[in-house]
Amino acid sequence: MRELALAGFVAITFGLGSYYATNHFGAFSLANLSLGGLGLLAALVLGARRLRFTGGPHSRPVVLHGLGLVLAAIVIAFSAERGAHHADVRLDWTFEQRYDLDASLVDLIEQLPGLKISLFYDPLDPRIRRTRLLVDEIARHGKKVRVKAYKIDKVPEKLEDYGIGSSNSLLFRRKDRYQVVERPTEGAIYEALYRLLSVEAGVIAVLRGEGEGDPEVTTDLGYGGLASMLATEGYEIRSLVTMSVREIPDDVDLLLAIAPQRGIQPVALDAIRRFLARGGGLVALLEPGVESGLEEILAEWGLRSPDRVVIDPAFGESSGTEAQGVCPLVHVYESHPITRGLDRNHMTFFCGARTFELRKPEVEDELRAVAQTSARAWLSDDLGVLDRRGRSVEHAGEAQTYRPIAVAGRYVRDDVETRILAIGDSDFASNRYLRALYNLDLIMNGVHWTAEREPQIQLRPKIRSTVQFPLPVADSLQMLYGVGLLVPEALLIVGGVVWIRRRTA
Amino acid sequence: MTALMALIRKEFASLFGSPTAYLTLTMVALVTALIFFDHLRLYNQILFVYASSNMGGFESDTIPDYINLWDAVFFPVMETLGLTLVGAVPLLTMRVFAEERARGTDELLVSTHLTPGQIVLAKFAVTFLFVTLMMSVSFVYPAIAIERGGLGAQHLSAVYLGLTLHGIGLAAIGLVCSAFTSSQLVAAVSGWAIAFVLWDFGWIQPFVSESMARALDSIALHPRYGSFSEGIVSLENVVYFAGLALVGMAIARFSFDMRRVSG
Repeated sequence: MRELALAGFVAITFGLGSYYATNHFGAFSLANLSLGGLGLLAALVLGARRLRFTGGPHSRPVVLHGLGLVLAAIVIAFSAERGAHHADVRLDWTFEQRYDLDASLVDLIEQLPGLKISLFYDPLDPRIRRTRLLVDEIARHGKKVRVKAYKIDKVPEKLEDYGIGSSNSLLFRRKDRYQVVERPTEGAIYEALYRLLSVEAGVIAVLRGEGEGDPEVTTDLGYGGLASMLATEGYEIRSLVTMSVREIPDDVDLLLAIAPQRGIQPVALDAIRRFLARGGGLVALLEPGVESGLEEILAEWGLRSPDRVVIDPAFGESSGTEAQGVCPLVHVYESHPITRGLDRNHMTFFCGARTFELRKPEVEDELRAVAQTSARAWLSDDLGVLDRRGRSVEHAGEAQTYRPIAVAGRYVRDDVETRILAIGDSDFASNRYLRALYNLDLIMNGVHWTAEREPQIQLRPKIRSTVQFPLPVADSLQMLYGVGLLVPEALLIVGGVVWIRRRTA
Repeated sequence: MTALMALIRKEFASLFGSPTAYLTLTMVALVTALIFFDHLRLYNQILFVYASSNMGGFESDTIPDYINLWDAVFFPVMETLGLTLVGAVPLLTMRVFAEERARGTDELLVSTHLTPGQIVLAKFAVTFLFVTLMMSVSFVYPAIAIERGGLGAQHLSAVYLGLTLHGIGLAAIGLVCSAFTSSQLVAAVSGWAIAFVLWDFGWIQPFVSESMARALDSIALHPRYGSFSEGIVSLENVVYFAGLALVGMAIARFSFDMRRVSG
């Protein structure tokens, strides 16, 4: 019996060992497992027969008692495990807190009950384990979320139907809508779920024709990222060529002007004035060195913007591409819906910005400097500083104080409410800088506020960069000699001493 | 209780009175240190290759996302150590019951006023403590190296918690195997075989239904301790290993009943 059991166990060990080593279930593994299983079965039968012959009626209660205890232990272990499964207590001990979902993503998941998630994977893809954990975390936060996993080579029809091209892809389905995420990160999942939610937030008309930033361009200098994000969060984007505008259409909720480089036609400016007067919203991104006519309209609403460049020496270290202090990191925010969640640890980054001076046209108007530089900032009349790469900018005696870079105005005239957001820089929302720090949140929340959609204001999930710093080799080597090898050496010496003493005792 | 403590003390004395315990501790600590250092060295090298000046340096986004401490060091170390434990722990547990049985000293133990349950509890407790000590000794070097870098100490703790629980689960399997035989060889080989079967049921998935595959997956060792390597400490997985230890103790205790019946 023992020989059979031993042979069976050896065969099973080699059968499974070969499978784990090669990740291939071939004839060798199969033969070993079959023979091993048979060997063990035979040993078990022989053992049972022996038990029957040696055990009498007196032994039965003893065996039953023992088996009862085993059964009780299994039941307790199983119940406790299931209980713990339902209690769902888990701690995220990763350095980047990778599995603590962002509050905005959790909010979104809660708004999508009955979500179906499918994971398409290749068993050899190492990214899958992380994606599974992320999906588990999403399922924990949702109501009636169903998760299924498919080996990518087993479901070619699904790949075809949903346009899935690679392993580690997630398919989110709800009702008759679906979204595919090919490289699942919190940010990508957030955007996919937002599209699945199909919010209708309103119509944004983007001014075109006077050298404005292009929302269709996807290179660094374009604004395709911003347009895509606006569409994701439910806005319909339309182009409005100012050359031919006589009136802003009634169904437009908000105008977006991305740094016009030439003067806008007076007719178009008048149309904008009328649009604002009837309660339309305006988000204006300006640049130093340009007077397009929008500055004049903003001044009429109490948001005067002198054509000077903000220099903030608090962040004077040049990155080598700009003059020192020209690119301020902003961490001073006034309490306002737009800046909800932004603080000293949630900064925004601007490059070559102009500032604003606030003067209320009427007492009831609400004007706020939502984002400001540090107290050391001053204004330079010399627009040439924008091109002085890496050089320092001499302080010209201008007073150093907080300089507003983003300002917001809320005006009520004859029961009609108008909202305007003006930002003294447009680069911060370009594809190059949109996802730097919290720039995306500032512009998106600014648009939501101007469109009177405050509930949509939130901080979006950020890319959680993995730990990619080296542990110095010299230190590692010292540690290896000092601890890694010393501990086993000491243990070996102690073991040797014990052995010698036992021999001599 | 006094008798139980006396038995635990005796088991400890017997364990640390022989060089085997020290050799095992030495081997595990050495293997861990070398594997960890090797992965750390390789990680640093790859990182420096990617970050070399002609590729943009550390500040740029030129380093692929998968080159990080987590994927390049923690995960492979955890996988290798997990398999090392599958090999090492049955060697540690094979003698615990089988040796007593072969020498006939288990009869003496039963004849004392200790119950079979207490005998099993003492032996399991000593083995679990030894496994914990083994993992603690092997934890020293990686912990200091990581702490010096100021990164990921908490994640490494999760990795080691997972490894310790995995070791305890394997010890429970090994002790059960040792309890049913007087041959240390049979105990070790059956321990390996059962540990391999329970390691991962990926091999059986092509032959069973999806729900069966999921059920088998939920009792496998690898997916359970694997989530610790991702830095996730879940109560469910901790309870799974505790349950494995409890069931192991009950089965080992049952071996005493079987011995009384079969002689």
